[in-house]
Amino acid sequence: MNCETAKPLLEAYLDNELDRADAREVEAHLDACEACRNALSKLDGIRRALRDNSLKFSAPQALRERIAATRHDTTRRPQWLNYAAACVLAFCAGGVSMHLWNSPQQNGIAHDVFASHWRALAATSPIDVVSSDRHTVKPWFAGKVAQTPVVQDFADHGFPLMGGRIDYVGDTRVPVLVYKHGQHIIDVFVMPSGTPLSSTTEQGYRLETVDLGGQPAAIVSDMDATESEKLRDLLKSN
Amino acid sequence: MTATTDHWIGELAQQHLDAAYNLGRWLLGNEQDASDAVHDAYVRAARAAHTYAGGNARAWWLAIVRNCCLAKLANRKRETTHLRAVDNEPSVADVEQRAEADQRRALVAEQLRALPVEFREALVLREIEDLSYREIADVLNVPIGTVMSRLSRGRAMLQRAFASETTNEL
Repeated sequence: MNCETAKPLLEAYLDNELDRADAREVEAHLDACEACRNALSKLDGIRRALRDNSLKFSAPQALRERIAATRHDTTRRPQWLNYAAACVLAFCAGGVSMHLWNSPQQNGIAHDVFASHWRALAATSPIDVVSSDRHTVKPWFAGKVAQTPVVQDFADHGFPLMGGRIDYVGDTRVPVLVYKHGQHIIDVFVMPSGTPLSSTTEQGYRLETVDLGGQPAAIVSDMDATESEKLRDLLKSN
Repeated sequence: MTATTDHWIGELAQQHLDAAYNLGRWLLGNEQDASDAVHDAYVRAARAAHTYAGGNARAWWLAIVRNCCLAKLANRKRETTHLRAVDNEPSVADVEQRAEADQRRALVAEQLRALPVEFREALVLREIEDLSYREIADVLNVPIGTVMSRLSRGRAMLQRAFASETTNEL
């Protein structure tokens, strides 16, 4: 590597965006070249000037409170909506078949499951307890949820158990087993017996249902159907 | 919007509120506008929660914040130009702060503020918020190559500004 090839990489090197091989080559060149060392140190000088804490503004308390207040408002259901819900209920009870009534309920659960999954992906870590093996995960659930789920590790089949967490589906606390497959993070929500669940997709995410030791469970991820079914069959067979 | 999705968006917004506000401050220049824009962004995010298609949630949230800030900037441009001049002046609080903090910091802030918005926002996200190229590309909705060239040009401009300031002082 010479100055000509190193120069365009200096910023990416500073920003930690080079792969290891390129970074090593840049470093080798820096060892030998004073001009590039100076250029890098100038870039670093700008960084230090900008990273100075006095340049970072923190949200004022008033803004925090304003958002908290809005959150509260939107979470509370307006009166007319309760009335509308009552009308829908009356309509359904009045002769429309139970099948029609069941599907929005199922969709509601599915939607809550998807929302919990996305929220977990957005969090710093989707797991509360890290799996060293399944024996650390199962006891962790004991006492935290009504029914301890069946916990299995499928590392041999390409679906290692990462750990578990407790999450909410609607207002029910449920155990969630977290698996990994390649880059995919997979949540398995273990629902209370009798929860109506059916396979569905939402915004490119898939919900696959499986019976896990007598409890209905939802496998949620952005894997494709084949991979989803593979994990389903693994969970089912054990 | 269900209570669950609202809960999720609320958590996300509170968790990255400083980052959102900081971006707003550097784009809009004052507390009132930045707060309004972040609040607008929260309302918009809660409404659009169902359109979130996975990926980096912080980048998704900051992209909404940025859009609300740019909308405010566009409004401001339509208004009279003297208002803009007032907005760009440092507030009383800033001046007081400057008296206490060292001159160098105030100078850096001034020079960052003087950069055109596309370079300023890229530098704020990279250097102050420590976002990766991928995340910045998602927030700004441009290819990674564009992020790199904006960062590079922004840094070069700042470097020149710092250098000329040092010469003036001598």
